[in-house]
Amino acid sequence: MSRERDAANYALVFFAVLSVLLLLFPAAKFAHTARIAVSYSLYPSLHYGAKYGHFVRNVPSNFVKLLETDQETRALEEKVRDLEVKLRNASASVSENERLTREMRLARSLPWTGAWARIVNKTPADWYGSFYIDKGSADGIGVNDTVLGMQDDRAGLAGRVFEVYPKFSKVLLLTNSAASAVCAIEPGGLEALVEGKGTWLLKMNYVPEEAALQPGVELVTSPGGLLFPAGIYVGQVTKVYPRESFMNFITADIAPAVDVNMLKEVFVVRRNIPGELAGSRLGAGK
Amino acid sequence: MSFIGDILLYLASGAAYWWWTQNLAVFGLAPNLIFAAALSAAILAGPVKGVAWGFFLGLYADMLGANMFGGYALTYTLMAYAVHTLKRHFDMDSLFSQLVAALALSWACMFFYQGLSLAFSRLNPLGLKIFLAEPFLNALAVPVVFQVFYWLKRRAGLL
Repeated sequence: MSRERDAANYALVFFAVLSVLLLLFPAAKFAHTARIAVSYSLYPSLHYGAKYGHFVRNVPSNFVKLLETDQETRALEEKVRDLEVKLRNASASVSENERLTREMRLARSLPWTGAWARIVNKTPADWYGSFYIDKGSADGIGVNDTVLGMQDDRAGLAGRVFEVYPKFSKVLLLTNSAASAVCAIEPGGLEALVEGKGTWLLKMNYVPEEAALQPGVELVTSPGGLLFPAGIYVGQVTKVYPRESFMNFITADIAPAVDVNMLKEVFVVRRNIPGELAGSRLGAGK
Repeated sequence: MSFIGDILLYLASGAAYWWWTQNLAVFGLAPNLIFAAALSAAILAGPVKGVAWGFFLGLYADMLGANMFGGYALTYTLMAYAVHTLKRHFDMDSLFSQLVAALALSWACMFFYQGLSLAFSRLNPLGLKIFLAEPFLNALAVPVVFQVFYWLKRRAGLL
């Protein structure tokens, strides 16, 4: 019993120290190497899961169809029901086709070159923080490439590429608490900083009190920003907060241009920003 | 053979969590199967293996997120040790104790990870919706995952 307790204590100390080292030195070569090693070891399971996921997804629907086919021999109503199911599937495909066509047409009008990517995973614990897309370095995606979403026939800023792997990339959303973007308030072009809050809303800071900001005003990325091309629609002011007595600027809530819950595909704009210009990996989203 | 089986089970646990969140999440909510696997492994495996399972499942969870790296690894390592201590005093094989442990440890892990996140990266990753709903989903998932792991332990000698 004592030996077992000793073994548990040694294991606890070993793994706890390892975890704390990873936490304490996030930018150290040791932690970075560990992260890359873990990612390269574990991403294949996600990759092949994505590749063959549709076979697994089809199992329950195929089983249902088999039962329906058996029942078709007994009643004509079952046939009608089966046809209705197929009709619903067809209409879903038609609506997806229409959506993709609309997005493609919109993408052709964009002044930037890039590639389309499909969102392959969202993690509930990081819903407004990041997601994965099915394009990686093999498709020419690079770190800090700008990620756009298409909504209401308009391209909006969704975030930027955060980590790149051969077949996958991780996108840091603008709604992430660590993300931000320098924006220009339309139509005057007054600059302010828009930051993520980890929720569906963004926060705008450093707006001069005399800016006369009103709900409904639109924001676009500023030419002064480094990471994002200028002129991308970022969002709309929903609420302006009055100046606090101890601050000399006002803040506002911003509804993002892109709703992460609605996104299925994104357009990745190639940026080719040199690493030394992009700053640190997290929190330097200006 | 058991070692390879453990690795396959580990990858399957992570991939199952990923697949569930990809296809079966409702309103952005899904049971944390990685947490359920870590808790079940801590109950079934020996002390060293249980703690190691907690650490490596935590690394998997860290890899899926974009925040600090090592936070979940530390959280699940400590949880596995706590379960190892608890199971000397309680019968963790019973359904009721698993439900209670899943609920209590879910919240404990959330608070601990929240504290780590605030301390190391000054981020607040905990959403109210997840805080309120996920522990109950975990409580439902843990007995199921435990039965699967228990069956694999008896039939294939894993864990």
